[in-house]
Amino acid sequence: MAITIRLATIDDLQGMQNANLSNLPENYTFKYYLYHLLSWPQASFVATTTDPELLEQDETQVTDIKMDTQYVRSGEKIVGYVLGKMDDDPDSTDKETPHGHVTSLSVMRTYRRMGLADKLMRQCLFALCENYKAEYVSLHVRKSNRAALHLYKDTLKFEVLSIENSYYQDGEDAYYMKKNLKLDELLPSTFQKAQEEDDLESDLLEGIVVDGVSAL
Amino acid sequence: MSRLGKIRHPPASSDDNNFKEALKQYENKQYKKSIKILDSVIKRNSNHAQSFTLKGLVLESSDLPEKDEAESYVQKGLKKNPKQPLACHIAGIYYRQVKNYAEASKWYQAALDNNSTNKGIWRDLSTMQSQIRDYKNLPKSRLEFLEEQSGYRCNWTGAALAHYLNGDYAAAEKVLTKIEDVIKGSLGESDMYEHSECHLLKNKIIADSGDYARALKDLDELVEGGEVRDGTALLEFRALYLEKLGRDQEASKIYRQLLKRNPDNVDYYHSLERTLGTLNKPAALRLALYEKLARFYPRSDPPKFIPLTFLKGDAFEKKLREYILGQLKRGVPATFVNVKPLYKRKSNIPVIFKIVNEFYNSEENSDPLIHTWTAYFLAQHYYRIHDYKNAIAIIDEAIHLTPTLVELYIVKARIYKRINQLEKASSIMEEARLMDLQDRFINYKSTKYFLRANNINAAVDTISLFTKNDETSNGVADLHTMQCIWFLTESADAYFRLYKSALQQIETVKKTPSETQAEELFNLNKDVVTYSGLALKRYGAVIETFGVYWDDQLDFHQYCLRKGTPRAYLDMLSWGDHVFHQPIYMKSLVGYSNVTFDILHNEEYFKEVLTARPVKKSKKEKKEEGKKRELLIKYARANVKDEDVLGETLVKKLVDMKNKDKLGELTKLITKSEYDLSIDSQILKFKLNFELKKFVLCLQSLNKIHAVNATHPSIGALYLKLHQELNDSNVQDAIKKILILGLTKNFGTLVKNENRELVIDELVKIYLKHDTFETGLYAIFANTVVACEKFTARLDAIQAALDPYESNYLEYYKL
Ligand SMILES: CC(C)(COP(=O)(O)OP(=O)(O)OC[C@H]1O[C@@H](n2cnc3c(N)ncnc32)[C@H](O)[C@@H]1OP(=O)(O)O)[C@@H](O)C(=O)NCCC(=O)NCCS
Repeated sequence: MAITIRLATIDDLQGMQNANLSNLPENYTFKYYLYHLLSWPQASFVATTTDPELLEQDETQVTDIKMDTQYVRSGEKIVGYVLGKMDDDPDSTDKETPHGHVTSLSVMRTYRRMGLADKLMRQCLFALCENYKAEYVSLHVRKSNRAALHLYKDTLKFEVLSIENSYYQDGEDAYYMKKNLKLDELLPSTFQKAQEEDDLESDLLEGIVVDGVSAL
Repeated sequence: MSRLGKIRHPPASSDDNNFKEALKQYENKQYKKSIKILDSVIKRNSNHAQSFTLKGLVLESSDLPEKDEAESYVQKGLKKNPKQPLACHIAGIYYRQVKNYAEASKWYQAALDNNSTNKGIWRDLSTMQSQIRDYKNLPKSRLEFLEEQSGYRCNWTGAALAHYLNGDYAAAEKVLTKIEDVIKGSLGESDMYEHSECHLLKNKIIADSGDYARALKDLDELVEGGEVRDGTALLEFRALYLEKLGRDQEASKIYRQLLKRNPDNVDYYHSLERTLGTLNKPAALRLALYEKLARFYPRSDPPKFIPLTFLKGDAFEKKLREYILGQLKRGVPATFVNVKPLYKRKSNIPVIFKIVNEFYNSEENSDPLIHTWTAYFLAQHYYRIHDYKNAIAIIDEAIHLTPTLVELYIVKARIYKRINQLEKASSIMEEARLMDLQDRFINYKSTKYFLRANNINAAVDTISLFTKNDETSNGVADLHTMQCIWFLTESADAYFRLYKSALQQIETVKKTPSETQAEELFNLNKDVVTYSGLALKRYGAVIETFGVYWDDQLDFHQYCLRKGTPRAYLDMLSWGDHVFHQPIYMKSLVGYSNVTFDILHNEEYFKEVLTARPVKKSKKEKKEEGKKRELLIKYARANVKDEDVLGETLVKKLVDMKNKDKLGELTKLITKSEYDLSIDSQILKFKLNFELKKFVLCLQSLNKIHAVNATHPSIGALYLKLHQELNDSNVQDAIKKILILGLTKNFGTLVKNENRELVIDELVKIYLKHDTFETGLYAIFANTVVACEKFTARLDAIQAALDPYESNYLEYYKL
């Protein structure tokens, strides 16, 4: 799909802000995004398109950056993001336990339902736990948001802690959800349920050299 | 002492005491009281410099009517005594407040140079120096403040970063090592994240100095010590260093570890191949490698997709079939966008079509939803190869099959947009929006399509369903506050088009005399002013928003040191260095400049229209006109307090200004965004300097454009424009000589060629070669420089080759 999932950098923030403005009613000024990345640089991730060069390509590779707010670099368009943080609210009900919070998550509609949100969230949870020792992570979601509820509850195994009445500007209630984090259960690749695992040591090309070339 | 006595014989220090009192009042936001005290001091002692500067600062902070005079008081104070440390310090604060950071830096420095005892100024000074990237002087400020407060780690980090930014890596490392030693053993849990980041900063600095061997050794120690938390960074650094040291095999193993952490990062796969040395190996071997990786990471896309970029023939078709059908059968709507990059190789296109079309017509494909998504794929395929007839036919089939899928309408609307049926496109998008009112994405699409159809009111009504509309009747103000760049640029473009359309209509009306002609012309002329003004306002809003982004950095020069995020801070600085070079910013600046130049080139016309009195009107007509204006204002109001909602004052100011001031604002903006590598920035600079008759600077810009892209379509037109000056008797001979010499470097014999036809042929051949929108723009521009049938013929050809949407868009620039 030529889409990559990677750590968000400052260069991505404008694209994230605009993706947020195109996907969600809860918006923030740019400084709030800066505040996230400059406080918790490892807690936010993006999904972007890439523009791989093909063997014997006919069209010239585009090098200009498109004049579109979603573009970070040439061929690199932000299509999804997760904005994560640690809870540093002085009014937090739980100041004892370090815990993370997902401020915002969205995927552009034409890129939905192919697992991007799932993958972004898994990177975020792992990073919050590894870097900031978050023991759990919490978030709010609209009661009517089926897609997000499915993602959090069924895919990511969050639990509903409470319902916050009229949490949103327009009066809708929010589910307040939470997931406990344990680092050794969070390694993103383990959720792929692969039959084979890379032992990280053996020569990747061994066997291939012979089999591979003769096979074709 | 009696009260009277005090007034008659004020001791020398009483002014200072009063000043202190005034300062206190200022700090408590009692601006009026503060001013009152200061006025009395000034009245008594017209040499009390600090009281003048403080008055300026207080006025600036207040809402008092004298606010406009704030700067003049600051300057008065500085003139009276430019060495008075308090006066200097206050001037620094004042300039910081008005966001003139260079000036602020100057006066903070002056306060310190004149023995101010307030050491905190060093910190404020370092903030200013960081903001204006004065890295040469930054280390001194950070070090002075460190000396003052060495008990805080953040000040050590600040000093190290200052050395680093100033290019002194050794000094930076030394500072970091020293503080590590000092705090060893005294760190609590809450310090550990900062500690980890500082370790990584130091490691990065060692690597940046070029000593990868030592960086690697340091990394080993860091892993041993177990104090670094960011496991991904540890691995990424290690892989980089190993590769730099030529230890590729070891590096490849690190990339395998990174893949376990994030098997969806495309870069890791490329790096793995690079370090394994397989990039130039036979495709079969590479494929086998990716098949293995796909077994390790069966739910990741890259190991499945990447082989499609290097396979050919049957192997390509086989893998592509697996890839596409795998997704289509699962009903993944995004299947097409996933293979879109493959269209860059022509021979791939029929293969893709064959696979999907066969599947579409096969028995296998009986599930109606899968059938629909397959048709959706094919529609996008036809769209990509510009076959709009088939695209429409098949998307209609899909919609007929499953009329409830929003995605289908999005594609259909896009097709109609491309063939320039903008209203139809917009009504299709609106239909989709009505099917899913909760989703802001489709709301955004519909809004955008209304704007593209120049239907601003409908756009605003639509988007306002998702904005905060507390203070105004719609979301326009909120969208400004929330910095919604896409909406601002799209609205600016819409107003720009409306402005050009009005000009177009004027031409038409002029050609057809009628009873109502005078009135129609009157109204259209007013539209020209209104819409050009509104275009200026919206492009201006984008420009302003980017200014806010840039200012947003300010707090973080200290914050990041305290928070312990120096590495991310460095990223912010690099981002900030290029804020004003971003294409999306440049686009608005170009839009803003173009409208400004238009107005200045047609100054008399605009003046006339601005002062024109309407032909006599009935009461009813007047009422209607008032209503129309009210509506315009309602849909354009960008903030509650704005007194120039339609930008009329903006336009008026531009035409009324003294000649030498007219380009002042633009000069500032263009200078701020100047960048050698940005062609748009150099074109703007060329145009500006041409207005200012600084032709040698024009030549410089032309050379810079040439250096970035020697056949850029703008070059021909700009060359012609500059070359014409060689025949202008007002231009000095010395300048002409420089121009000839300079132009000859890149244009050779063309410069002296007297045969205009031949020259233009040559320019068209070299610079207007491609059938692109941009080339079309410059063909139009060239034709305004030298009207010539060769340019218009080329333009016609370009327009015929372009899609109807882009082709038609060029019409706006012809006026
Ligand atoms: C919610 C959202 C982020 C999901 O993004 P996505 O990339 O499409 O999600 P994924 O493809 O990773 O799907 C994750 C899971 O949710 C399910 N899901 C996704 N969209 C769904 C929908 N519309 N209805 C039901 N389930 C859905 C997927 O099937 C998948 O489940 P699985 O693990 O059982 O297969 C996206 O719909 C979105 O951006 N919505 C608008 C913004 C928003 O609501 N953000 C969340 C605010 S809290």
